[in-house]
Amino acid sequence: MKEQVINFQLNDEPVNVYSDPSLSLLKLLRNRFNLLGTKEGCGRGDCGVCTVLLDGRAVNSCLIPAGKVQGRNVCTIEGISSKSTAKAARFHPIQQAFVEKGAVQCGFCTPGMIMSAFALLQENPSPSKEEVREAISGNLCRCSGYKQIEEAVLEAAKVMICQKEHPGFK
Amino acid sequence: MPIDKEKGFDAKNNSSGATVNQGPDVWAKAAGRALYGIDLQLPGMLYGKILRSPHPHARIKAIDTAEADALPGVRAVLTASDIKKKRYGIVVQDELPLAYDRVRYIGDEVAAVAAVDEKSASRALEALNVEYEPLSAVFEPKAALAQGAVQIHDQFPGNIAWQRELERGNPDRAFKEADLVVENSFSIPSVHPTYLEPIACVASSDYPGNLTIHTALQSPDIVRDIIAGALELPFSKVRIVGPVMGGGFGGRVYGNLKLYLLSSLLSQFTGLPVKMQLSREEEFCIGRPMIAAELKIKMALRSDGTFLARESEIVTDNGAYSAQAPWVSKTLSERNDSVYRIPNIRTRACLVYTNKVPTAQYRAYGNQAANFACESLIDQAAEKLGLDPLQIRLNNCTQAGDTTVHGLKIKSCALKDCLKEAAAKIGWSNRNKNCGYGISAGIHASGSLVANKDFRGASARAVLELDGRVTLFSGEQDYGQGTYGAFTNIAAGVLELDPDLFSLNCRDSLITPYSQGALANRQTTIGGRAVQLAAADLKKLIEEAASEMAGEPVRMEKGRLKSNDGSIMELAAVAVYYHNRTSGLTLTGEGSYVPPPVEYDETSYGNISVTYSFAAHAAEVEVDRETGAFTIKRIASVHDSGRIINPLAARGQVYGGVAQGVGFSCYEGYLFDRGRVVSKTLADYRIPTALDVPHIACCFIETTDPEGPLGVKGLGEVVQVPVPGALANAVADAAGVRVTELPITAEKIYRAISKGECAR
Repeated sequence: MKEQVINFQLNDEPVNVYSDPSLSLLKLLRNRFNLLGTKEGCGRGDCGVCTVLLDGRAVNSCLIPAGKVQGRNVCTIEGISSKSTAKAARFHPIQQAFVEKGAVQCGFCTPGMIMSAFALLQENPSPSKEEVREAISGNLCRCSGYKQIEEAVLEAAKVMICQKEHPGFK
Repeated sequence: MPIDKEKGFDAKNNSSGATVNQGPDVWAKAAGRALYGIDLQLPGMLYGKILRSPHPHARIKAIDTAEADALPGVRAVLTASDIKKKRYGIVVQDELPLAYDRVRYIGDEVAAVAAVDEKSASRALEALNVEYEPLSAVFEPKAALAQGAVQIHDQFPGNIAWQRELERGNPDRAFKEADLVVENSFSIPSVHPTYLEPIACVASSDYPGNLTIHTALQSPDIVRDIIAGALELPFSKVRIVGPVMGGGFGGRVYGNLKLYLLSSLLSQFTGLPVKMQLSREEEFCIGRPMIAAELKIKMALRSDGTFLARESEIVTDNGAYSAQAPWVSKTLSERNDSVYRIPNIRTRACLVYTNKVPTAQYRAYGNQAANFACESLIDQAAEKLGLDPLQIRLNNCTQAGDTTVHGLKIKSCALKDCLKEAAAKIGWSNRNKNCGYGISAGIHASGSLVANKDFRGASARAVLELDGRVTLFSGEQDYGQGTYGAFTNIAAGVLELDPDLFSLNCRDSLITPYSQGALANRQTTIGGRAVQLAAADLKKLIEEAASEMAGEPVRMEKGRLKSNDGSIMELAAVAVYYHNRTSGLTLTGEGSYVPPPVEYDETSYGNISVTYSFAAHAAEVEVDRETGAFTIKRIASVHDSGRIINPLAARGQVYGGVAQGVGFSCYEGYLFDRGRVVSKTLADYRIPTALDVPHIACCFIETTDPEGPLGVKGLGEVVQVPVPGALANAVADAAGVRVTELPITAEKIYRAISKGECAR
């Protein structure tokens, strides 16, 4: 397809890129913006490792044509950590909980899994176990059996509520 | 005494309580900063792609490369005529980097191209013209074994890749004297390890002929040897550097040798780095699943339930090339004989070439496949004898001090307690009438010694850096199982230092000690022992250097260097002192763990491993007898993996291993249509999602094994072994009929029920 300029918000910054609009958002992120945190596992929406947020909703970026993000807001795993260099401040509570609860094994599903968890907790700040499982059911993980991921998301939910109620709480 | 440990192993005090180090790249992974094979890029890099055979069996009459060669952006087009005809293999030498005159399965590598970008490489593939003469093909082992069947490899007559006949004791007499003989046939399809990151590599050959391959492998040093041999390069000119690995599960012990060889050859031809990467479809169609197996088993018992003998006839489907399939077939054909005391055994096993995807290995090495069959048959026997499935297992199970029927020496074993605890956790004595219950037991070698009888152990180095920190060098591989965390804890325990002071170097064959890597449940048991010895050696060297520096005896206690008068020296000061005195050497502790020699006769009777891990699983399922639909409600997974030193990671291994076992038992399995893989996407080859994994109760019964460091034994593989047996038995208990063909599906249960088959 003929290349065109695509303008969108990427991790809270305005960007524009000249691209074939039929290229997948995944390829755009990885090959044009060098954002390698979003992984590719199947290229057809079966595995969820390429999950990013499009206007706050978790989507498989391999299925979104680049042209569709014109004027919209894309957030990747790189966008949910703060830019601070102090470890404690740098990581989002979901990332923190994933590490502490043993939810990260090979780590290949982790970015996509964290993005799905992020979208869930924006919508539903205190989900049940079942709601967590449902929210990550499009994200395959071959290492963990999902148990420690479920535990991590529930833990992150608690921390995030606490942080909201007590700003400055770490 | 069963222990549900939530707290960690305290490296400093050798007791429970401390938080556990999870390995160096866990934060990078959570941040999305960890770089995997698919993420790698080198300056000037080309992209390689492979032309594959569309025929299951054909003669290559001609390949015309002229058109592809002339395309813009194309830098190399390779066919078999460009490279040496040198066969390679892992157990048998049956592969060439590119098909020479014949292709043997749909997907066989015919030509390889390198181009400046992926598009140009794809165009080059389209421009290649290959003329084939189709040959008749065989897809089922039975057909391949038949008289007059087409021969797939000239050097393997009868299409037999490997076979063995084995007899222990006197099975004929045992079957004659038995009160009960039960038998059944079972079938297990090929399964794929399905690591989530498809295999990728970048090979880079420079002008002096040094070859560096960037790819994540479970056993990089062994692969380095094979690559060097196949390309006729000196070993010291081949280096493997590992990016982060997106899952292995046995599939990356050797990874995809063909991909590494072809990218290396393309790099040698072009003088530029070449990246190659499998698509998910290629992973399924050419990416080395585990062998499929057909087992016919017969068991002899006394009326009190004592096991007398087992006879097995096993045929495994090798596909077109062999890789590790002979070893997997061997483990599949014998390991389950050592779960219980069975004095008489007869086994005939045969691995057969077919015109299908070549096979390799998967976590648990076929042990779980045979467990499904063996444990199903035990329940059939228990029912015939009116015995409780738990009791019959308790009466027969292997115990510490046993030498099993194949000569395995069991130095530590809590299998009996594992069985009891699994039963207790599932509520065995108080079973719900509306559900079905199954129990199963497994053994797995931890630290197998027979892959290379001369190189049985491992070595490691521990270096005191000039800043007082410690760097460990080991060739063992961690891709999330917690090995590096365990190593850190082991070394920190010996030196009584904070685990945060340790760094690990493991992923570069240029600088790490040669290792067999992540296979055979050996890493923590064998590699960990080497780390322990290296740390102890370093401690001794530190004390010597500190004493020399102080001019009086200095001891290292609780991580601090103290002289007789109580004055304290800094580790960094000692490191710098030694560094200056020797003009640049560093204090380097070396650890070499060499397990006792293997006594292993030509019938492969002998103690094949450093130690053995045990597990018992119990499952609760609900079956709708109208439709066959079933729900796995709970699985109790109880382990004797010796001492648990990284509980968080250990639980992760159990949950993940059981989930894979659920996939193996109820979801996964290759589907073929005349040799063509039909299940070639993750939608067609379903692995369990978050909604498919049942509640898993995990428990460790700790024994102290005399061989492993701190009494540890392996866990990662044994965890999958008893899952299929436990689930099959639970389904049979609930449905009243037995499914003998994996995966167990609602449709198969429904068919068995409607057939009125009561073979249980």
